[in-house]
Amino acid sequence: MTSTPVSEPFPRRAQIAVPSRASIAYLAAGVLAIAVYYLIPADEQDVWYVVIGLSSVASVALGARRMENARLAWYLFAAGLSTSVIADAISGYYEIVLNRQPPVPSTTDGFYLATYPFLFGGIYLLLRERGAIRTRVAGLDALIVAVAAGTVQWVFFVEPNLHAQGSAVARGVEMAYPTFDLFLFIALVELVLSVGGRVVSYQLLVFGVLFWVIGDEIYGLSVDNYVVGGWVDSLWLGSYVLWGAAALDPSARMRVYRDRREVPRLTTARLVLLAGALLTSPAVILVEHFWRHHSPHPKAVAIGAAVVAVLVVSRFAGLVRAVEGARAAERSANQRLRELDRLKDEFVSTVSHELRTPLMSISGYVDLAREHADAESRTYLEIVERNAGRLLALVNDLLFVARIQSGALELELAEADLGELVGESVSSAQPHAATNGVELNLRLAGGATGVHVDRRRIGQVVDNLVSNAIKFSPEGGEVNLTVGAAEGFVRFEVSDHGIGIPEAERDRLFERFFRSSTALDRQISGTGLGLYISKAIVQAHGGRISASPAPGGGSSFLVELPARA
Amino acid sequence: MNDAAPLILCADDDPDILALLTLRLERAGYRVVQAPDGDRALALARELSPAVVVLDVMMPRLSGTEVLAALRADAATRELRVILISARAQESDVEKGLAAGADAYLAKPFQAPELTDLVKRMVDGG
Repeated sequence: MTSTPVSEPFPRRAQIAVPSRASIAYLAAGVLAIAVYYLIPADEQDVWYVVIGLSSVASVALGARRMENARLAWYLFAAGLSTSVIADAISGYYEIVLNRQPPVPSTTDGFYLATYPFLFGGIYLLLRERGAIRTRVAGLDALIVAVAAGTVQWVFFVEPNLHAQGSAVARGVEMAYPTFDLFLFIALVELVLSVGGRVVSYQLLVFGVLFWVIGDEIYGLSVDNYVVGGWVDSLWLGSYVLWGAAALDPSARMRVYRDRREVPRLTTARLVLLAGALLTSPAVILVEHFWRHHSPHPKAVAIGAAVVAVLVVSRFAGLVRAVEGARAAERSANQRLRELDRLKDEFVSTVSHELRTPLMSISGYVDLAREHADAESRTYLEIVERNAGRLLALVNDLLFVARIQSGALELELAEADLGELVGESVSSAQPHAATNGVELNLRLAGGATGVHVDRRRIGQVVDNLVSNAIKFSPEGGEVNLTVGAAEGFVRFEVSDHGIGIPEAERDRLFERFFRSSTALDRQISGTGLGLYISKAIVQAHGGRISASPAPGGGSSFLVELPARA
Repeated sequence: MNDAAPLILCADDDPDILALLTLRLERAGYRVVQAPDGDRALALARELSPAVVVLDVMMPRLSGTEVLAALRADAATRELRVILISARAQESDVEKGLAAGADAYLAKPFQAPELTDLVKRMVDGG
């Protein structure tokens, strides 16, 4: 048996949980003992009954001693079961020694009735410990169940005793049982709705309480037919055994996380419960009409139905209000988000301004200084100039990324010819290519290359790809550019014979700030934003961009844009 | 520098930029009057009727756009040539500037010849 306290949240979904070995062993022994109960002579039965009860008390007390939390609840269970066993013993004494049933009322009833407050007190403590009954709504649900079940109890169990023969005390005692069972039933429902379905120990407990209540109800319906050793006894005995098994299962020691939701979710179980409560009164009327042909109870049923109706309506009214409240909260949250978005845009714009102005001063004055500088200083100033340019490119890229991220990438679409756009880009890149000793070859493959694009943005993409190709080409290298049409798309391909891209990195190439290891190894400058931006622009146009190895080494980038219809 | 050279009003709250633009314009053969803010720019524009007004958009007190609006609203200054310059370089900013009645919009940072060529075209164009 595991003796370490279990401390983890219980499974979210109800699942068939398997009890631990200790509680299975106790359950099996209990079932065997109950079977034996029906095989032995009547006098021994009474003794055996007490033995089973005592084993349950011992198990619960043992379990309670090991609890780390909610220990008091389990001690209350042990106390309640003890008083019940004492009542069993007294009853057995009457049977064996006096050879008759105990009278009503008797000390037996005193002990039996004393059991109930302990039991539902214990369940209440358990529920409170588990945070299951903290909210008004949970209380309301319990009240609805109480009124519906109370109607049933009143009509079938309590009220008939009002007119029964016997002393006032005897009638009072007879009415006390169904009243207490009502409390136990409510506790049972709350247990099922909260933690009962999810932890083995509580599942056993639920069945324990259920057996107890059903035993009581069947007994109440047919007091006169009750015989010691009848099948109803198996329900009470079963309840003892289940209670003991529940206490022995280590899951009883689980520190169940409290449900922090303010309002319990309207689960299927709760809905069924509320519907059941609403249907109780008609069901009672039908049962009275068809099954029990005596005195109907119109007043009790009507009052019960009315109270349940009012409570259920206020329950749902609360729910609707909560939903409306949540909606309102959502609306104001949305408004805040829009406001934040606006602030972000403003921030981006301000940063843009604040970074570009000093850059203008730097390059402007460097320009002036160069006029008077000697050869060496001029070299230095060129470096300053070049770095200012890089900084500016970075600022522009970052601003562009910020706009893509905020979804503010707007396109000014116009008719254009991709071949022409690429041609423009190639001529403006020519000086850069020449400096690097790279040859640019543009080939128009033919076909209609008309597109519907934002010229500036697509120009930016082409510029980026061309400048990358130049940047990564060796001196004396060739960059081949092809523009053509294929299957509803206009294609633009740039191939270089440069350093290439490792295959493993090809997928990540278009990620923000990604830089290929080959570029990093050769210390080729870049921000890792160009291809990310290019991809965003191409996708905004409904196009595709991809990279592949170029034949004979190097890499090839393909842009496909929807052809103009 | 001679008195006959066309007069350019240059307004920018950043003294380094203002000095840089002034130097570049003077080298290109213009007389330059400086304004460190929008108020001053508007007053000088009204007083001197310069050939071209170069206005930074983001300036304290009166922004470049507000100065531009005031100039366009006044019959005496309506015809002045105005160039807006700004580090706010998004298309929407440029559009706003042109919609407000600027003759041109230059996004900072720009190269000196971009400004001097533009001014030359405006002055020559009359």
